[in-house]
Amino acid sequence: MFDFIHAFFSSTVMQEALFPALLIAVVTSSMSIMVLAHRLSFLTVGVSHASLAGLGLAVTLSLPLLPTATFTAIGIALLLALMPNRQGINEDAGTGMLFAGSMALGVILISSASRNEVDLFGLLFGNILTVSAEDTRWITYGSIIVMLSLITWSRSWWSMAFDMITATASGIATSRLRLVLYGIMGLTVVMCVKLAGIVLTTGLLVLPAACAWFWGRSMFSLWGLSLLFSLTGTLGGLMWSYHYDWPSGAAIILMLCLLFTLSWGASWLSNKSSH
Amino acid sequence: MVSVDDIQFEQATIPAMNSPVIHLSHIRFGSESKPILDHLSLEIEVGHFMGIIGPNGAGKSTLLTIIAGLRKPDAGHIDLFGTCLTPKTRSTLQRDLGYLHQAHGGMPDLPMRAAEVVAMGLTEFNQPLWKTLFRSKTKQNALIDEALELVEMTGYKDHDFRKLSGGQQQRIRLARALVRKPKLLLLDEPSAALDSRHQEKLYQLLRKLCDEEKMTVVMVEHDVAAITSYVDSVACLNKHIHYHAKRGESIPSDVWTAMYGDHISIVTHDESCIGCVPAVKDSAKKSTHHGHHHV
Repeated sequence: MFDFIHAFFSSTVMQEALFPALLIAVVTSSMSIMVLAHRLSFLTVGVSHASLAGLGLAVTLSLPLLPTATFTAIGIALLLALMPNRQGINEDAGTGMLFAGSMALGVILISSASRNEVDLFGLLFGNILTVSAEDTRWITYGSIIVMLSLITWSRSWWSMAFDMITATASGIATSRLRLVLYGIMGLTVVMCVKLAGIVLTTGLLVLPAACAWFWGRSMFSLWGLSLLFSLTGTLGGLMWSYHYDWPSGAAIILMLCLLFTLSWGASWLSNKSSH
Repeated sequence: MVSVDDIQFEQATIPAMNSPVIHLSHIRFGSESKPILDHLSLEIEVGHFMGIIGPNGAGKSTLLTIIAGLRKPDAGHIDLFGTCLTPKTRSTLQRDLGYLHQAHGGMPDLPMRAAEVVAMGLTEFNQPLWKTLFRSKTKQNALIDEALELVEMTGYKDHDFRKLSGGQQQRIRLARALVRKPKLLLLDEPSAALDSRHQEKLYQLLRKLCDEEKMTVVMVEHDVAAITSYVDSVACLNKHIHYHAKRGESIPSDVWTAMYGDHISIVTHDESCIGCVPAVKDSAKKSTHHGHHHV
């Protein structure tokens, strides 16, 4: 066991991947409480899939991948935030339409590019082991923005999730803050793509808070527990990935699913015994 | 004998004390051809407790949302605490306002203790974490305890809000509206989830807040019989205010008819009630098909 842990932490690939992976774990676990509170799971599915259009644009126009995908994802998230208010279209339907439309655009753009330019498997399912220094820098900047936003607006966002009408009546600029939340969500989604890929990103943004939901009794306790589950899931998943040579993103999501099952089971047992 | 100084003192203070908390002038909400509210003017003074009654779709909740700054009227002018309500002044004015809306479809499934729900009503709650996290919570905790005590929920402070009954959740929501000690409290059917004992206690509490704290309360209620002993006035609303009856004043039968149609019975209750003081004639039953005013 000790030999394995020593080998894991001594591996050059893991040493390079560990920092961005854990950084993403911190950011996604923090945002995941807002995803669950505001019921934005489907939005994260929509935005992550829609970011394929950004990646396709980047490949076609030879632009940097992550920054282009970031701006596309933020743009799409903001569009989704505005659409229901302005056009009378339900957010659910809006997400479905934008999700399908931009994914279709992304598929066409990427299919036109030469096969050598695109690691399609990496885009779809993530591969933190191939993270470059530039990617790490980009993920670090993104993390700082997301964490600063949470420090500034987490309580207002929490109030809005609890009761939007009362939050507005108590003087919170809810329309503006909703836009900021969606924009930050778009940024977080793109940061996850390197780790979990377009398909699995939602798992990182839902599972940590879902594990914590059974035990948390306030925003801060949820936040702390979500962080704990996310770091455990990421580290455990990377170890699985290293040991069995599994894709890193899928291994992390699978580990988080296992943690969710354990958390749910423990909560069920605890409720049963207390009754 | 009154001196000149006394007169000047009274002249200087009385207008400030009597300046209306709410001043609505010719409010219209909705299109001109099919307005939800129309030609609505109203003035409410400090410490006044007003009940709003009216049939379904009369615009009662809409009126509260307009006063709360949640909706902009299509015409007319609103002053709160002597200041014009505009997008620029709205958030400042809302600091002195408590609002309890009808909780349609239950409350969200967020893991929170009752005390945290109440804390959300504090203006400091929504500040960035670096401003609040490491500051002493003594004053905030005292305010939360006080609000919980007002609604008799002190023992439930650390309970999971989701596991409370509908009535208990409603009392916690009321504590949330009260915790910032608002000058104006807007309540949309606050007694909906409460049993009759807690309804009575709620009205007593609101009366006390108006008398002792000089809070102004505007409350939408369906059951006019339940509130008449406590409120200072009752506004009969159906698109516009048909009648604004003060304590000891009767609501003419044609007002009831204009609001609810012919299918209403008006039964005299007692002399302290608004709406049925003279009313020997009015108290005659007209029809018993649809609801009643007093039982």
